[in-house]
Amino acid sequence: MSGERENVRGSRSRPSRDSSSGPRISSQSVILGLVQPQAPGNRTIYCNDRDANLPVRFKGNSISTTKYNFFTFFPKGMFEQFRRVANCYFLMISILSMTPISPVNPVTNVVPLTLVLLVSLIKEAFEDWRWEKCSLHILLCLNYVQQKRFQNDMVVNNTLIDVLQDEKWVAVPWKKLQVGDIVRVKQDGFFPADLLFLASTNADGVCYIETANLDGETNLKIRKALERTWDYLTPEKAAEFKGEVQCEQPNNSLYTFTGNLIFQKQTLPLSPNQILLRGCSLRNTEYIVGAVVFTGHETKLDIFEEPPSSECFIPGWNLGFRQRLLKENEENQRLKMAKMNEKVHFLALVQIQILGLARELDHVVVPFFYIPEEVMMNSMNVPSKRSTLERKLDKLILALFGTLFMMCLIGAIGSGIFINQKYYYLGLDKGVAAEFNPGNRFVVAALTFFTLITLYSTVIPISLYVSIEMIKFIQSTQFINKDLQMYHAETNTPALARTSNLNEELGQVEYIFSDKTGTLTRNLMEFFKCSIGGEVYGSGVTEIEKGAAQRNGIKIQELRKSATAIQEKGFNFDDHRLMRGAWRNEPTSDTCKEFFRCLAICHTVLPEGDESPEKITYQSASPDEAALVTAAKNFGFFFYRRTHTMIHVRESCVEKMGKIQDVAYEILNVLEFNSTRKRQSVVCRYPNGRLVLYCKGADTVIYERLASGNDDLKKVNRAHLEQFGSAGLRTLCLAFRDLSPETYESWNEKFILAKSSLRGRETKLDEVAELIEKDLILIGSTAIEDKLQEGVPACIETLSRAGIKVWVLTGDQMGTAINIAYACNLINNEMKQFIISSETDAIREVENRGDQVEIACFIKEEVKKQLKKCLEEAQHYLHSAPGPKLTLVMDGKCLMYALDPTLRVMLLNLSLNCTSVVCCRVSPLQKAQVTSLVKKGARKITLSIGDGANDVSMIQAAHIGIGISGLEGMQAVMASDFAIAQFHYLTDLLLVHGQWSYLRICKVIAYFFYKNLTFTLTQFWFTFQTGFSGQRFYDDWFQSLYNVIFTALPVIIVGLFDKDVSASLSKRYPELYKEGIRDAFFKWRVVVTWACFSVYQSLVFYHFVITSSASGKNSSGRMLGQWDISTMAFTCVVITVNLRLLMICNSITRWHYISVGGSILAWFMFIFVYSVLRENVFFVIYVLMSTFYFYLTVLLVPIVALFGDFIYLGIQRWFFPYDSQIVQEIHRHELDDNTSAGSLEAGSQRTPQEEGNPLPREISRHTGFAFDSPGFESFFAAQLGIYAPQKAWDVARRASMKSKPKMPQRN
Amino acid sequence: MSSHTASSSNGGNGSGDSGVPKRNSKRPKYSKFTQQELPACKPILTPRWVVSTFMLIAIVFIPIGIACLIGSRDVVEVVERYETECIPVLNRTNKVQFIQSDADKTCTISMTIPKRMKQPIYVYYQLDNFYQNHRRYVKSRSDEQLKSASKENDTSACKPEDIANGRGAIVPCGLIAWSLFNDTYSFSRQNQSLTVNKKEIAWKSDKQKRFGKNVFPKNFQGGGLVGGATLNESIPLNEQEDLMVWMRTAALPTFRKLYGKIEVDLEEKEVINVTLMNYYNTYSFNGKKKLVLSTTSWIGGRNDFLGIAYLTVGMISFALSMGFTVVYFVKPRLAFYNEDFQMCPASDLWSMVPLVDSIRFSYAVDSTTRDLVTLPSYHGTEVLDRTKNVCRILLMFKTHPSLPIGTEALHHFGTSLLIVTLMSMECLKHYIDSGRILLV
Repeated sequence: MSGERENVRGSRSRPSRDSSSGPRISSQSVILGLVQPQAPGNRTIYCNDRDANLPVRFKGNSISTTKYNFFTFFPKGMFEQFRRVANCYFLMISILSMTPISPVNPVTNVVPLTLVLLVSLIKEAFEDWRWEKCSLHILLCLNYVQQKRFQNDMVVNNTLIDVLQDEKWVAVPWKKLQVGDIVRVKQDGFFPADLLFLASTNADGVCYIETANLDGETNLKIRKALERTWDYLTPEKAAEFKGEVQCEQPNNSLYTFTGNLIFQKQTLPLSPNQILLRGCSLRNTEYIVGAVVFTGHETKLDIFEEPPSSECFIPGWNLGFRQRLLKENEENQRLKMAKMNEKVHFLALVQIQILGLARELDHVVVPFFYIPEEVMMNSMNVPSKRSTLERKLDKLILALFGTLFMMCLIGAIGSGIFINQKYYYLGLDKGVAAEFNPGNRFVVAALTFFTLITLYSTVIPISLYVSIEMIKFIQSTQFINKDLQMYHAETNTPALARTSNLNEELGQVEYIFSDKTGTLTRNLMEFFKCSIGGEVYGSGVTEIEKGAAQRNGIKIQELRKSATAIQEKGFNFDDHRLMRGAWRNEPTSDTCKEFFRCLAICHTVLPEGDESPEKITYQSASPDEAALVTAAKNFGFFFYRRTHTMIHVRESCVEKMGKIQDVAYEILNVLEFNSTRKRQSVVCRYPNGRLVLYCKGADTVIYERLASGNDDLKKVNRAHLEQFGSAGLRTLCLAFRDLSPETYESWNEKFILAKSSLRGRETKLDEVAELIEKDLILIGSTAIEDKLQEGVPACIETLSRAGIKVWVLTGDQMGTAINIAYACNLINNEMKQFIISSETDAIREVENRGDQVEIACFIKEEVKKQLKKCLEEAQHYLHSAPGPKLTLVMDGKCLMYALDPTLRVMLLNLSLNCTSVVCCRVSPLQKAQVTSLVKKGARKITLSIGDGANDVSMIQAAHIGIGISGLEGMQAVMASDFAIAQFHYLTDLLLVHGQWSYLRICKVIAYFFYKNLTFTLTQFWFTFQTGFSGQRFYDDWFQSLYNVIFTALPVIIVGLFDKDVSASLSKRYPELYKEGIRDAFFKWRVVVTWACFSVYQSLVFYHFVITSSASGKNSSGRMLGQWDISTMAFTCVVITVNLRLLMICNSITRWHYISVGGSILAWFMFIFVYSVLRENVFFVIYVLMSTFYFYLTVLLVPIVALFGDFIYLGIQRWFFPYDSQIVQEIHRHELDDNTSAGSLEAGSQRTPQEEGNPLPREISRHTGFAFDSPGFESFFAAQLGIYAPQKAWDVARRASMKSKPKMPQRN
Repeated sequence: MSSHTASSSNGGNGSGDSGVPKRNSKRPKYSKFTQQELPACKPILTPRWVVSTFMLIAIVFIPIGIACLIGSRDVVEVVERYETECIPVLNRTNKVQFIQSDADKTCTISMTIPKRMKQPIYVYYQLDNFYQNHRRYVKSRSDEQLKSASKENDTSACKPEDIANGRGAIVPCGLIAWSLFNDTYSFSRQNQSLTVNKKEIAWKSDKQKRFGKNVFPKNFQGGGLVGGATLNESIPLNEQEDLMVWMRTAALPTFRKLYGKIEVDLEEKEVINVTLMNYYNTYSFNGKKKLVLSTTSWIGGRNDFLGIAYLTVGMISFALSMGFTVVYFVKPRLAFYNEDFQMCPASDLWSMVPLVDSIRFSYAVDSTTRDLVTLPSYHGTEVLDRTKNVCRILLMFKTHPSLPIGTEALHHFGTSLLIVTLMSMECLKHYIDSGRILLV
């Protein structure tokens, strides 16, 4: 295999490895990876011999991923709880309150703490236990991101697998599996443990596996068993297999495996190629037989829980770093710069993806070579995201701590000054405790400080966190997950909030980064139109054309589908001139034939399933290709089988109407697609010996290579291309060339030579391809529709009205990206476009010269120049009035340089000034980088939405990650915070749920802050009149139940039910969302306002109650004592604080009344009972209620206390209304429950009002070329026996139908 | 959607549009709770509400205030400060030494009754700078011990007044009891003494439940230092009302405690002679001592605070409601939005429609002054609210996206929505003419 290459890299990255690992094993590590230090010693496994393995006591195959089990639940759960500062603080306070210096009974602090802990623990237990119904596939994915659930484990552990026992396959659960067992895994099954691959039903001992669970890639990879073990396929044969495996100890390195198979007295080296890892699944293979090597938690999927070091990551953030890297390594300097970058990107991506530390991007200084990229596969905790609001809340809590400190300090100083022997009645002379000893005032002050901390501990709202958690939990599980507006019936997918941490963040999003494919578009490529020999076929009208026509007031009549129309995935074409063999009657029937053959032959599609036109499915790297092959099938050229050298096509109606013949074309060479070539060619030999080169690709590259002549056709075809492009279609040009055997032979020699070269192989291959891809004859062009998702343009329109900026980050071509941006209303003709592209002649010229360093410098300069120019222009437009909206289009290569620290600021400035930004040809890492750029650089709340593995990094880098669910592929969803089925559900998610959550959480926090501060301040004022002794004003139980009973429930009700305007109005006035973006409800100003009212109210409570009690309080002349007065004050506090809550409500349901009334009632019930039981407050409430004073005060104090708030609220609404308040007033006469009607109305309102033009000319000149597929080249080459270095894991590449991982993997 | 009702009625049987009811449908079930459509009232604090609330407060509070004030003014109160007067002039340089000495502390003061006082007249003593609410003091008592004789030795909280040297527990123990006030007063008018009834001065609950029937004082004030009054060891605690009053600790360092009742009327201008035994030491901490004679009314003793507070709040409310009403009519919502401003006949509205449809405004609102300013780079779309014949133009702002986010401009012109009430066509023209709305 790739011994030489491996050496080169291996010696750099793992210098000590080879010498230590015994016999030289050709293990193929991914470059730049450092393997985890190995556990000493080897592992010897006796296959198929349980007894022999017994002494070693390998671990079983059952796994447990739950956070807790029965025994660990309590200690572990408690530990988790006390990791929170607030809980820790209260634990400390509780301990402190048990000491004599405490003014309060320990119960004051222990009771709330216990209640809070209890609630949290119940919630934890519930979540751990929670049962999510999903397939095994998803469970394994869950495993990958550590969604730990007890019941999920049960499913995984009890899945059945065939194990060889007594020459029979016996189904046993996974957990019963032991090291050394021989197992059989059937097609589409998952590997239950790490297996040694022995035999496969495929003739050549290969099998195809999908590693999506490990690395998120959905392409197929090939594993090949050792030739010696190929035969052990049947149970009878397999039972005879007695091998001994000596291998390394379990480790986390995904891409390495060293070991030997000692078998029939021979030592056979094992490589990763023979290892099938747990969690992967078998594809395209009937079944395989393997021996278990690692089980359970020793499998590579599960091997370790924690990253080796959390500091150990570096994203390839800056270019300077890459250059240093180059300097360090002579060998690498000759590697293509771009390639290098991509690799760095790849690794860095892995870091981001797995360590989830992308947000830390800026503080990175760790040597690059020590990245354990294998961390990737670990089932490790992605650190959960915290919302910005919560981080601000931390600051608020800190401020409260500051307040607490100040209050205690004042009290402490006061107590030091106050304490004096002259107060003889305090008994301060004989043997007084240190806390009251006037002899040492300093000690008195110090101890009083602690006393007061205990006394004022209520200023920190203990139940705040748990309340917020509960609110958010209900918000996400009951409201978001169950919203019918976000339920997608077609895919039967409701929305899913995977984390409840970020609900309110949804209300503050300012930037949305969207993937294109699968998110904005359906990734449903449909063959829509074609142009053959200068004639356009196909009668459909695209969405974009419809939209344009609508805006121009033209009504397009939907054509009735004719009888010939075929409805199939990937084929939405109807033209009676071509269908059912009718093409034979066309004047250009020969061209048609070539056209269809080109479609059927020139591709890298793999057929799957039954070889009949109805049942076959095509696997391809890009859905475009599948669509083209499907089209060929429908035109009568049915491609049904691919072998290593042949393509079999069932052609009908070619020679004669109605005649069917199977033709096998020999594929001689595949000149694969890449981004520079932008074309793909196949050299094939007809059964009759005719040698043809079929080529398809971008119009620009094809036109350059056409033979001269036939200009008419070229011109007509180009016109058609432009027409297609303007309709938003993706186009390809098809061409062919007949080859003479001599030409071919001489070329093929060069090709093989190039293929086997070690350095610059790609360049050489490209050069060789140039030699034969010339003098082509144009056949025609195809147009594929990339269907937009439902409601996308309207959604984007709404979002932009809400002040949210949508950026599209796509791996697609610039043209495609711009097309889609037009279709989605992101760009229109009124906008000024800035395009920064690397596809300029100047750059190409330098690139052709091939000096990497020069290229890098040149592009960087170029990008800098362009950025500067654009920025100047942008500023010019901004200051000119009324300027056009601006938009920026940039490609990945330029972006790479623009993200350099020196240019980053400029890039940020420019892009923030643009209404929309489109980045095309970007790698997954760049998506993450752009996201971080805005997140870090502009400090705005970002949201990323995507559907595929390539969006994972972006999803994790943003504040909020959203995955599109409902279709296959779980990577994005698994990495996301919220999963929705359709892009346009963003409207509901952000404008309704986000806006409400934000509002609610803000209110809840502010209210908590207020009620605790108010309560504590009354204590504080009392302290001044007790000689700073720290005497408590309230009874212990009043204080301990204040937070958890008397004021707990109403605020939760507000957190659940409050809404400023109804859902339909939120969507009708998206502008309201801007209040969230501006953070209007949780500014420091808001907090300060609340604090002022707290101070005011606490003064009212304290002084009104105290002052009015100075004389006898009823006609009996008896005086009230301290506890009477404090009970009085507490009653006022409870009533006022609960009423104040009603004042902040925008909508009041009966739950509000019940909870507010209930809380006040609860207080009275409590005190009625309690005052009978307790000594110090004995009978106080009855004493109080026997006086007029009580009723007069209870009426007066709350009203006076709320007076200020009321005036404030009235004036605020009257003179400085929030936008939402204005909307409330406009619609206040409308019925409340108008959601259904309203949303329809909102929907109809969404129609864009701007007079949009059809696509502009300059864009239509973009002919919409969009096609890219990673090559199959090495796969075919390998099959042909051509020496080609390949990577163990990346031989065959099957694209998922949804995601196109843009991580370049080819060497 | 219409399917909401459908699914709720047939029990989540799948939506109407999907046709085939799926057994494993993940369609959430409809409920008012999960769809957040619970019926709710939406209180909106409109100017009218503000004004009427203030009015209501005024209407309720002013009479209460007056009643309270009258109630309080009915009370006749005579206060006499005596802590200095009752020290012989010679001893005034060292009052503490005097009070701690065995000298005769009898002292006579006289009080003039300003107004006829009806019986019962309550006699209070008032101490100042006496921290009955000090933490050390408050907890220095044993409620258990006070309640039952069996808990006599429950004196852990009472230090340092817990155990008399070698003679067992002190009952009642603790600093509070120890420092029991011990000045005594006897009243006479025209050489005819007035009896002071010292019964019924404690709260009934104290008497019945908190102080035990068969708990008798023991070892009280028997220690080295005598802190205050002594108690008759033959009277059970539940009849020692002075102690009960004293032990209901006051909330503030200045407090009054009931001493007794004089159950005869006192006439105006009468001079009452008080012979008092000035035993209690407030001189160490410069505390004042006052003797108070007071009648009561329904509201209790003399305390204008509540009445004044009610009256003030009522007045302020009234003033505010008047003020807001004036603002409401004179300057209705600063020309932004006036819900009932019906100066524009409907015909005008409709005649305005074509005009409004055909112009495009360019304006902005300055969020600090809340005034229309022209800013050319803002685009607005217009929505006519045609309900209620109110001529109202709703101006929807779209902040111009090309403005650099995060620059001053956006913060400055942060408001995105504004409602302007236009009185008529002329008004619109006026706005246009005066340049407040620019036509582009």
